[in-house]
Amino acid sequence: MFGTQVRGVVEDDFNPRRRRTLWNTPAASMPTTTHTIRYSTPRKGHANAHQLLAKFEDLYGFMVEGNVDDVNVLNDVRERMREQGRVWWALEASKGANWYLQPRISSNGGSEGVISVTSLKLSVLTNTITLRRLIRKGVPPVLRPKVWLSVSGAAKKRSTVPETYYDELIRATEGKTTPATLQIDHDLPRTFPCHSWLNSEEGQASLRRVLVGYSFRDSEVGYCQGLNYVAALLLLVMKTEEDAFWMLAVLLENVLVNDCYTDNLSGCHVEQRVFKDLLAKKCPRIAAHLEAMGFDVSLVATEWFLCLFSKTLPSETTLRVWDVLFNEGAKVLFHVALAIFKMREDDLLRIQHIGDVIDILQTTAHHLYDPDELLTFAFDKIGSMTTNTITKERKKQETVVMAELDQRIRRLSSLKMDG
Amino acid sequence: MAANPGNKIRNAKLVLLGDVGTGKSSLVLRFVKGQFVEFQESTIGAAFFSQTLAVNDETVKFEIWDTAGQERYHSLAPMYYRGAAAAIVVYDITNAASFTRAKKWVQELQAQGNPNTIMALAGNKADMVEARQVPAEEAKTYAQENGLFFMETSAKTAINVNDVFHEIAKRLLQGQQAQDTPAGMVLNQRPAERMVSSSSCCS
Repeated sequence: MFGTQVRGVVEDDFNPRRRRTLWNTPAASMPTTTHTIRYSTPRKGHANAHQLLAKFEDLYGFMVEGNVDDVNVLNDVRERMREQGRVWWALEASKGANWYLQPRISSNGGSEGVISVTSLKLSVLTNTITLRRLIRKGVPPVLRPKVWLSVSGAAKKRSTVPETYYDELIRATEGKTTPATLQIDHDLPRTFPCHSWLNSEEGQASLRRVLVGYSFRDSEVGYCQGLNYVAALLLLVMKTEEDAFWMLAVLLENVLVNDCYTDNLSGCHVEQRVFKDLLAKKCPRIAAHLEAMGFDVSLVATEWFLCLFSKTLPSETTLRVWDVLFNEGAKVLFHVALAIFKMREDDLLRIQHIGDVIDILQTTAHHLYDPDELLTFAFDKIGSMTTNTITKERKKQETVVMAELDQRIRRLSSLKMDG
Repeated sequence: MAANPGNKIRNAKLVLLGDVGTGKSSLVLRFVKGQFVEFQESTIGAAFFSQTLAVNDETVKFEIWDTAGQERYHSLAPMYYRGAAAAIVVYDITNAASFTRAKKWVQELQAQGNPNTIMALAGNKADMVEARQVPAEEAKTYAQENGLFFMETSAKTAINVNDVFHEIAKRLLQGQQAQDTPAGMVLNQRPAERMVSSSSCCS
């Protein structure tokens, strides 16, 4: 595991005083019981051995149920992660430690960290391209906190406020009850109860501080169900509450479109409409077939977008999506969602029942233990989509969504008057 | 509950609506898997399940949409109740606010949904009588006035859970006229045959 190769990189970067709680069992260095289990291919006549379900702990400590093939795929993924780690260390040796934290050209759509063309140096360009390619192949788990903070702009965001910001924010929330805290308290034990640390008192207290802290930072978002899953996974990756908090902040304030989680989830409605449009363009046969069946793809895709796939994909696959999300921006979610449909195009086209569509999509997503399989589809088979095109499409849909939500509110309030 | 071979199978879209934490997912889990867990993962958007139920010689295949309860998710609800053949509006008998919320859902369904949608009102957590805030009589009267059928349920002890779904299935099979099939209720085989013609009853 990566623990042997890390040389404490995570440890010496941050001031320990600012770290509130450690998620002490870094999953990536946590040997799991199924770690070395290797099943041989069953002989003919024993084909149903593939169907045998076993419960096992995945790479980030989630208890999951999978079959023999899933376990084998996970073992391969672990091996590839080790190889990918070696690539990162080799580059560090040649380019210098922390080369990936240097200025680069932002591909995140936002303005932070953008370098003007005049100051553009060849080395910056090379590093940006190398890093982009490298990140698509996966950030080693031990480097994720550092790389994510840097490429997402979270480190920069944090640097604009006093060092004591997080501690003071948390102090200000103590003993206060708001609609957000009530909902958070309700959801804590219901957030990945299959994960032993998140299910512990310590884990829930950590998650509570991050979520409550954020609800005080942005009262418009407050707390929206779904963020509990996102923040939980951020805690597992970032290891410290404060880093998880800043990743949540940059995600909601810069990476994702506005208003995905506020009041009537208008941003989420917009993204769903853009997604439908993209599906029609990128997978026209699937889109036409599903429309003829009367199947609205938002029925399944809403959860994908609100939880950023954390409730849908296996943990390491989700985090590989997040690697790219933090580096390249929210359009990555479209790539991944389209890929899940595209991967099963032939099956989807054969199906005539809505229930079967959902079954196929869910089963496919839940068993995507191989992140490269998904990301290859997402980027190579779906083809490029420029941020510009998507921004234009969003603007167009925003007007429609606002009108629709407005009309709905008026209809509902007239109902109340009648009643 | 298994369907007999040769049976007619009717697909019916069913949606669960109600305030956060009333036990919508728990009711579904109890009905579909016969299980109960104290801390059910919170639902985001909606979760989908399917379950078949045999009533006499006919079978209903429920396509169940279990929706998220938090207020701001309300704007997503039409996508799930659109074209539903049946809806279960759930409240928690130990939480008066959840009953108020349930009434709003009923009102919205009556105004926006399909007029043929069969609606059930489920007062869940009926095992926790000592903490009751909503009298059963009050809910029953409300249900009668609004053309819903009403049951108090407990996903924890399984009381009345299967009964709610069974009652819905029965009404679906009884209450529809062949030419008046609600959207969302798709007849798979020989649609015009065997449709019992009778007026739908509301208790």
